[in-house]
Amino acid sequence: MRGLHIYIALAVAVLSLVSARTLNAYWMHVAIIAMFYGILASSWSLLAGYAGLFSLGHMAFASLGGYTSALLVQWYHIPIPLGMAAGVALCTVAGGLIGWVCLRMSGPYLAIFTLGFSEIVRIVLSTEDQVTAGMAGLHTAPLFRAPTDLPYYYTAFGLLLFALAVLILITRSRWGLFLRALREDEQAAAACGVAVARFRILAFAIASGLAALAGGFYAHYIGILTPSLGSLDLMAVVVVMAVIGGMERIPTAVGGAFGIEVLQETLRAYGQWRLVLFGIILLLTMRFARNGLLTPLWRLLTGIGEARRPAPAPRGIGPEGSRP
Amino acid sequence: MDYLLIQVTNGAIIGIIYALIAVGVTIIFSILKIVNFAHGDLYMLGGYTAYYIVTFLGVPPLGALFLSMAGLFLFGIVLERLFLTPLYSDRTERKDEYGLIVTFGLAFFLRNTALIVFGPFPLRPPSFVPGVVHVGGLAVTNDRIVAGAVGVLLILALLYFMHRTIWGQALDAVSQSRDSAAIVGINPRRFNSLAFGVGAALAAAASALIAPIYSLSPGMGVLPNIQAYVIVILGGMGSVLGSIVAGILLGEAEGLFTAFFPDPTRALAYTNAFGVLVLMIALILRPTGLFGRRHVRME
Amino acid sequence: MRIVRRLLLIGVVAVVGAGMILVPVKTLLGAAEPIKLGWVGPLSPPGGYADGQLMKDAATLAVDEINAKGGVLGRPIQVSYQDTRGLPEEGTAAAERLISQEHVVAIMGEFHSSVFLAEMEVAHKNGIPIVAVDVWANKITAAGYPEVFRVAPCQALIATQWGNWMVAAGFKNVAIIYEKTDGGQSARDVLLPILQAHGVRYDVVGADLNQTDFTAQIERFKTHTPPYDLFHTIYSEAGLYPMVQQAHSAGFAPTARTGISNTGGPATTPTFWKNVGDAGKYLVTEVVGLPKAKWNNITRAFVANFTKRFNSPPTPQAIENYDATYIIVDAIKRAGGTDPKALIAALEKTTWVGGRGKYSFATDHNPDWHYHQFVDAPVNLVQFDKVGQTPDDAPVVWPRSLATVQYTYKRPPQ
Repeated sequence: MRGLHIYIALAVAVLSLVSARTLNAYWMHVAIIAMFYGILASSWSLLAGYAGLFSLGHMAFASLGGYTSALLVQWYHIPIPLGMAAGVALCTVAGGLIGWVCLRMSGPYLAIFTLGFSEIVRIVLSTEDQVTAGMAGLHTAPLFRAPTDLPYYYTAFGLLLFALAVLILITRSRWGLFLRALREDEQAAAACGVAVARFRILAFAIASGLAALAGGFYAHYIGILTPSLGSLDLMAVVVVMAVIGGMERIPTAVGGAFGIEVLQETLRAYGQWRLVLFGIILLLTMRFARNGLLTPLWRLLTGIGEARRPAPAPRGIGPEGSRP
Repeated sequence: MDYLLIQVTNGAIIGIIYALIAVGVTIIFSILKIVNFAHGDLYMLGGYTAYYIVTFLGVPPLGALFLSMAGLFLFGIVLERLFLTPLYSDRTERKDEYGLIVTFGLAFFLRNTALIVFGPFPLRPPSFVPGVVHVGGLAVTNDRIVAGAVGVLLILALLYFMHRTIWGQALDAVSQSRDSAAIVGINPRRFNSLAFGVGAALAAAASALIAPIYSLSPGMGVLPNIQAYVIVILGGMGSVLGSIVAGILLGEAEGLFTAFFPDPTRALAYTNAFGVLVLMIALILRPTGLFGRRHVRME
Repeated sequence: MRIVRRLLLIGVVAVVGAGMILVPVKTLLGAAEPIKLGWVGPLSPPGGYADGQLMKDAATLAVDEINAKGGVLGRPIQVSYQDTRGLPEEGTAAAERLISQEHVVAIMGEFHSSVFLAEMEVAHKNGIPIVAVDVWANKITAAGYPEVFRVAPCQALIATQWGNWMVAAGFKNVAIIYEKTDGGQSARDVLLPILQAHGVRYDVVGADLNQTDFTAQIERFKTHTPPYDLFHTIYSEAGLYPMVQQAHSAGFAPTARTGISNTGGPATTPTFWKNVGDAGKYLVTEVVGLPKAKWNNITRAFVANFTKRFNSPPTPQAIENYDATYIIVDAIKRAGGTDPKALIAALEKTTWVGGRGKYSFATDHNPDWHYHQFVDAPVNLVQFDKVGQTPDDAPVVWPRSLATVQYTYKRPPQ
């Protein structure tokens, strides 16, 4: 069975499209939010998992993307997809800028720098309430006016597929290899001729653009936008999703997003103990499955297909990169 | 002139409290190489511990402070033994992320358990010394003076411990290089627990000192947590002295910003953003902080 | 050996996971066809969890009383409590869950306007009635959704009282701190035009919700010329306590020159005095309930029962939620069932007498926030004149028709 994992992914995709109609409104909402987090977790894993850039500013870009789109639609009455595209464009540029500014930072310095950026975004959004409506919440135009959330479900599905396609294309091309080289040893990569600066900026720009895409969708789905979208708590949830899933592979990060979102909702039945239990489960999972839950599984799946292939080419960056 | 003086005084007192919290984060970071996301919640827990020691055991506030420090020291060691040992194993692939998620889970657990156990309503322990001191035009509460003075004493004690005692020097050695420390016969593992315990104890002290001024609530750790990161990074990760200086600087910067920012309606709202902005600019100019060291990953 | 251990671990995790999913399912099967209601509100940070808890306690009390008397239409009442954490997204998820997963017949609760605005969209989409308990934004009833009812006063009602009181008490220069939340912003937006209309000068300062240090700001207020004569705090969260304390110890307010007031509720909770001590004397705050002189038997019984059961006196939010529970149950009884359309029609005709007087919901849209608003919701301002006083025992200073003292504002002695 070559590429078993691809067939499984396809089967999951088909199944989720077919079964959409059987979900009740609540689980459909959960699924849509899970896909929203799926885009965020997978794009964040491009940054942190591939390039080793542990950014805590990802939700700030989602928030910026959402506000940009919502405000442009409100002011100029442009079509919503155009507003979302504007949000993506803005955040791609802003993400690239942040990437450029923190070129020389690494590890925790980068993490706290980006945390600082997201705090500033949050504080500005909540203080300038004449423009953003602050914590009272900005009302946003809905993307669809339909009796059910089915159109949102398909849209979220499409956006998630798009994000995954972009991310997988990048990681499978030689860019992906360059990014991983950056993570392992930046100086060695530079010595091998990798344009370190360019790839760091690129990773930031693409990941931020995708975050803005998710944020824009969220804004026009929930119908109300508050600055708490960019809070550290939500950022941490995205990190948890990516790490529990296994952030070195894009699809497992999406799996993590679904797992954590469903877990959070299932725990609702426990009332006040919900978040306590969430903390305990998180602690125990990390304690006993320190490398993520889904990564070993994914390795097993891909391993079945790849076991009989010839050994990979010697390390180094050939003209064709790691393409099989 | 009085206005400036009182703002500087208050800023310094708050800064000392910040420094106590941040030094804990730094010590933990310099030994374990993790950013402790649960530090604000250990801070919260320390304050509540002192509160209950005062109310139920009738211990005077200052005694409760030291008991709470001792309690959190032990609690920190237990936490470190239970959850952070995988950090020292080669089978853990991504140590930064492991530390982050584990401490985040811990934060979630502690904060929400506190909500259930301590209740949602703010609590205020009795003052250390009730009353207000008037010096010229200045009015400062005794609680603030006690907080500042005890804070300074604790920081001096910590510096003495780090530089003049064998355990402290060993701790410092491990923070500089685990391998070299091991070569000279120091068992680095023991110091993981010590660092986490000392960090938790300092957070407890800060919380117990500030509680009569700010009141205790389960969510009180959120803001100091972010401020502590700002300070630690500003001071340079792993530099104890840097954290102390940066802590006092941040306290002053925030106070003076609120006091002098030209637009009075926005001054208070942007105070926290200002601290963060200072950090970001400092990092752009010096990517490893003001007193930074280069080695920032677990070897 | 390692494989065995790993398998064991996976087994344990699977069993625990399955148990966690099955336990709630089992408890559902065990009950005898109750009528299900939904409750939403903040029970954990970053929401206003203290207020949420008080509201939840009051709802529990009401439900237990109703069930002890045999429930409604021969069926017991069961409430599913959902923590919404002050986040709109959590509100949407909670409302979706209550309606399509737990099939509740009506929803009540919420403390944050922004979250309620998200929840009421879900209720509107599904045609399920939702009763707003302690959310004040005008926008909520102004949206004109037939499903939405509000027992709390709205900002327009509350801020008008404040504005009129400030004018009547003769304040000329007011320093205002508001928390940057939905409640804080809307209170500010309604109050300022009233002050402007009466020529009262003001400076307004926003503060982050988690802020606990206000000393620098208070010192800055002190340098203002001419000196402020009132320090008005729009704060619904724990931050009020350090603020009141710091204003007092800095010698800013309450003093003979500068008064202090709070809107938002924390000064009426039982922990107020434990946190502020002497600093709370002379503070003016609002009570969104009946003044003690106008209490009916229900109010008295509720206060006694609540105090006995939860070891602390109730707050205005608590009694709002207590009444809201009874209003829904009363509507179910009059509708003779749980059909949402019939329930909404019955709610519109509410004439229930609860702990806050006789409820009725307006059906006109003039002004827009009138629709399904409890227009006669009681609001009165009290001023503490003793340390440790409950808000119900404090003298009422506004409105004049309810005032129990001659003065509108009592200055502290020099």
